[in-house]
Amino acid sequence: MIAKHNKERAAKGALSLALLIAGSISAFIFFFLLYFSLPILSSGLIGEFLTRGWDPDRGVLGILPMIVGTVYIAGLAVIWVTPIGIGLAAFIQLFAPKPLGRILRWTVEFMTGIPTVVYGFAALFFLVPAMRRIFNYGTGLSVLTASVMLALLVLPTVTLIAQDGLATVPSNQVLAAFSLGASRMETFLHVVLPGAWRGLISAVVLGVGRAVGDTLIALMLAGNAVALPDSLLDSARTLTAHIALVSAADYESLSFKAIFVCGLVLFIFAGSNIVFLRLVEKLKK
Amino acid sequence: MAEDNIKMAIKDLDVYYYERLVLKKVNMVFRNRELTAIVGPSGCGKSTLLMALTRLLDTVPHARVEGSVELRSNDQGWLNVFRLGETDLPSLRRRVGLIFQHPNVLNTSIFKNVAFPLRLLGLSRQEIDSNVRAALIDVFLWDEVRDRLDSPASELSGGQQQRLCLARTLVLQPEILLLDEPTSFLDEDLAGKIENLLIRLKEERTVVVVSHYNDQVLRLSDRVYRLAGNQQESN
Repeated sequence: MIAKHNKERAAKGALSLALLIAGSISAFIFFFLLYFSLPILSSGLIGEFLTRGWDPDRGVLGILPMIVGTVYIAGLAVIWVTPIGIGLAAFIQLFAPKPLGRILRWTVEFMTGIPTVVYGFAALFFLVPAMRRIFNYGTGLSVLTASVMLALLVLPTVTLIAQDGLATVPSNQVLAAFSLGASRMETFLHVVLPGAWRGLISAVVLGVGRAVGDTLIALMLAGNAVALPDSLLDSARTLTAHIALVSAADYESLSFKAIFVCGLVLFIFAGSNIVFLRLVEKLKK
Repeated sequence: MAEDNIKMAIKDLDVYYYERLVLKKVNMVFRNRELTAIVGPSGCGKSTLLMALTRLLDTVPHARVEGSVELRSNDQGWLNVFRLGETDLPSLRRRVGLIFQHPNVLNTSIFKNVAFPLRLLGLSRQEIDSNVRAALIDVFLWDEVRDRLDSPASELSGGQQQRLCLARTLVLQPEILLLDEPTSFLDEDLAGKIENLLIRLKEERTVVVVSHYNDQVLRLSDRVYRLAGNQQESN
């Protein structure tokens, strides 16, 4: 009895320690970003920083094009992936014959393990030339190309979480709908979807987080132009790609210091996502 | 099928979960304007049988059926339930209504629960209102819920939910009514009223009741089938 009690205390201690380490690392990153962002935050130029373009040679260090590039690329990716991801989740959960559903689920799970760079390379060889041919415009490296590939990258996250959300609808409710003469589609629309909407929102929000946080796809496929894109076929740069490009080239300049604010913006966005998810969780109860 | 008043005929029905035989060689007939009782100990497969008759076992992973279930169709003669395609199943389930042992109200209001199958049929608001009201009166629930039709159905007591589920199936006016322990959540008085309702219902349709109350079975039924183990014992 005492040994069991000690084991429980040890397990509780180990979990608390893990929580403390994870929390400390997050807090450390936040304060690290905040500290290095202070020169810009305290200069009174934060407004300009967030609303101007990027031209370090002329001393202009605004990140507006990168914020817009991130919103365009991640936003479009989420627009593509939401209906496809939820549709695929619904197909696996409710419509597909069980063996096919299992195979699709394994495939989607497998997709989560494919390195991002592989998606990027595949797109460079297939999607970029295709976009160039279809639209006969530019290099093919564009907001549209990056958003399509980013949607594919985020698809497994949205699909798996959406399917888990759909699975939370009690099976007796589904059976009740079937027994009253509802078809599979009617059961999905009238019973499953209303019962699972919170889980589906969680899936989309996590998909947004994944899309905004991804670096490589935008870096490889968006063209990285530091300008506000006029159309979906224009090149653009995301905040994450900007951080990667500037930090790879330069360690000392003011531009390097400016990218900490980009990091802070992303960190605050990720934090907001978590808060939003917690609110949705509360609604579930 | 020789007898004119047979509505459904089950022939050599086997049900398997994985490779385990849970129902073996079930042979039954359900007649028009008769109340048939199916009795047997817990776990002998009574509920599974009802699910098989409405093809709801299709939704249960690793469940498999063999044999045949024939449903009399006025214009098409006999219809083999197991040969119906996916698109024919809603129509089958409207003709053969199943009320589960445990009330499974939809996660919506009292009114919308009963209105749900009617909305699927595309009835007008007026038709829906009058049908919902009639069904709730039939199951003796109207007086208890008339002032709170928009309240969540999940807030009703177990007995009220059971009657709500009965009303929800009755609005479809199924030709065959399959009821799995229809009075298990009800007190004696309400159980008596529901029994009377079943007697009234059998005057115009086929009623099949799974029950473990022997006195109820004797009181109500025109025909009794007994399942024991996984096999039909006698009738």
